[in-house]
Amino acid sequence: MPEESPGSLTFKLVYYGPAQSGKTTNLLRLHDQLSPELKGEVMTMETKDDRTLFFDLLPLGFRAPSGLLIKLRLFTVPGQVAHDGTRKAVLSRADGVVFVADSARNQEVNNGEAFQSMADNCHRVGLDFEHLPLVVQFNKRDLPNAVPETEIRDRWANAPWPLCFACALQGKAVTETFETLLRLLYRHHALPLALATTHGISEEAFVTGLLGRSS
Amino acid sequence: MSVTDFDKEWQLGELLDAAALARMGPPLAELLEGDAAILDRDGSPLWGTLIPGARREALTLEIEPAGYLVSSSASPRHLQAAARLFMGLLRAEARYRAASALHLEAVTQDFETLKLEHARLLASEARYRKLSEELEERVAVQVTTLKQRQEQLYQAEKLASVGQLAAGMAHEINNPLGFVRSNLGTLRLYLDKFAALRPQLADAQTAWQTLDLDYVLEDSPDLLRDCDGGLERIARIVADLKSFSHVDRPEKALADLNTCLKHAVSVIEASLPPGVELITDLNPLPCQQCNPGHLNQVFYSLIRNGIQAIQDSGHPGKVTIRSCATPEDIRILLHDNGIGMTAEQLARAFEPFYTTRAVGNGTGLGLSTARNIILAHGGQITLKSLPGQGTTVYLRFPHGHD
Ligand SMILES: Nc1nc2c(ncn2[C@@H]2O[C@H](COP(=O)(O)OP(=O)(O)OP(=O)(O)O)[C@@H](O)[C@H]2O)c(=O)[nH]1
Ligand SMILES: [Mg+2]
Repeated sequence: MPEESPGSLTFKLVYYGPAQSGKTTNLLRLHDQLSPELKGEVMTMETKDDRTLFFDLLPLGFRAPSGLLIKLRLFTVPGQVAHDGTRKAVLSRADGVVFVADSARNQEVNNGEAFQSMADNCHRVGLDFEHLPLVVQFNKRDLPNAVPETEIRDRWANAPWPLCFACALQGKAVTETFETLLRLLYRHHALPLALATTHGISEEAFVTGLLGRSS
Repeated sequence: MSVTDFDKEWQLGELLDAAALARMGPPLAELLEGDAAILDRDGSPLWGTLIPGARREALTLEIEPAGYLVSSSASPRHLQAAARLFMGLLRAEARYRAASALHLEAVTQDFETLKLEHARLLASEARYRKLSEELEERVAVQVTTLKQRQEQLYQAEKLASVGQLAAGMAHEINNPLGFVRSNLGTLRLYLDKFAALRPQLADAQTAWQTLDLDYVLEDSPDLLRDCDGGLERIARIVADLKSFSHVDRPEKALADLNTCLKHAVSVIEASLPPGVELITDLNPLPCQQCNPGHLNQVFYSLIRNGIQAIQDSGHPGKVTIRSCATPEDIRILLHDNGIGMTAEQLARAFEPFYTTRAVGNGTGLGLSTARNIILAHGGQITLKSLPGQGTTVYLRFPHGHD
């Protein structure tokens, strides 16, 4: 559940995935590409070899016609296997998740294990995995050994989650992935939070408010 | 453990306590060339003096002001620069707070996982302990059942051997009984002759001769002597049988194993088949605390096995029974030069129910029961055998076993 305080509503989104799949890169590109009314700096916590140690954070926000401040806080988890405890803690209280998979053929096992660990961790931290807004992004489409899109679509045909094919390094489909999650998030929460009725925020307004007019 | 959420949004007053503010305020005021104040996000002062009409600059941690830096003396440029510097400080503090809270949360998570893991381990250990207890119980039950079965089997075999013995005895007793009965019949006829003599006493001499009473007088003592001999034999057989089966004695007794061997031999000798010879070479033995009734049966069976092996070979042969005492133990050897056993038969000889003979022809106790009795006496039994050459049974008993 998003955190409600007088005058503001905060959603927590988490970029989850195996080590080095491009979660931090996604966040950095989003920071460049988005232009919402309010945009903070990316807070990164990396070791010297660019691996996330605790988390990265990108804060965004816009004000609704009702005066309500909608805040989004985008986190990334550390992908390295050793940091499972940290991943679990970062995942707690998430309102939506982007799973960033590595498209490289030799990363298929890592993707599978990370996805399973995400499902397990959701249960452990009390998240309803079946109903959690979740987008699966296959990143690094530019790699020569990327698994072909048709093969991936075939394999995930029976899964309920939207798939995105991105190249975070070049900034491709990073915003699209984010937008897909925003729409799931809105549909999941609009009614219970009375976003449309009380605050006058439609799905389009929600999306454009966070992506920024120019995008 | 209560843990602060790592992803909470910090307030200025939470990041810098009064002491930290008191440390940073004066140099800030100095840089701002006069006065300075630090306000919380709702405008309430945390440090410094608030001069009406002073300029304020927002201190933003993420996207909203977390507080304000206020000064009336500084130029806008200086105030902005100071606010940026101060924000850098605040963000560094927030990063540190978030990282340490997350670390704590992760450690707690790991600890919870460990505790869960530990609880699971304890549960599975308990399961295994229960299982092993159940197993022990089941084994105990099985052992009891096995013991009961063995006891039943032993009793059945004992009955069988007692029955066989009784059959042998009956056969032996029949022979003397037969001639005692026939002698007595003859003597009755003789008495009839004397009765017939009485009316003819006048012509006594002629009658005496007609009735052939000379022969009667001559034959009667022979018949009586024969009868005596027969009765004596019956008495001896019954005595042997009694002492063999120990019907009249308690189970445990101090006994000389040679006596047991002699009993077994004397019982068997009465019905020794033709072509089989028993040779005994018994040397003095110290007395043993034992169950003589059981040992008698063991020796009886082993000797019978030897005789059977000789009969099976189709040749005449002999069973040698030897006993001696060494400083370590008492040794008994039974050797026959009968048919012998193949390696396969030898390997299975001690299995219960294993027999090389047709069902019903087993002689007395099986080897497995014989071994059990010997083991119960603290003894050992070993077999050596070669097909066509014969079999040797070695028995050893510790001295004075109870
Ligand atoms: N070829 C290619 N490389 C990419 C792409 N996206 C990210 N990378 C590279 O992959 C490496 C890891 O990227 P990060 O964004 O740090 O990955 P991460 O998922 O945050 O890694 P952890 O924090 O260790 O879990 C970097 O060298 C990126 O430049 C992409 O689309 N294509
Ligand atoms: Mg990272």
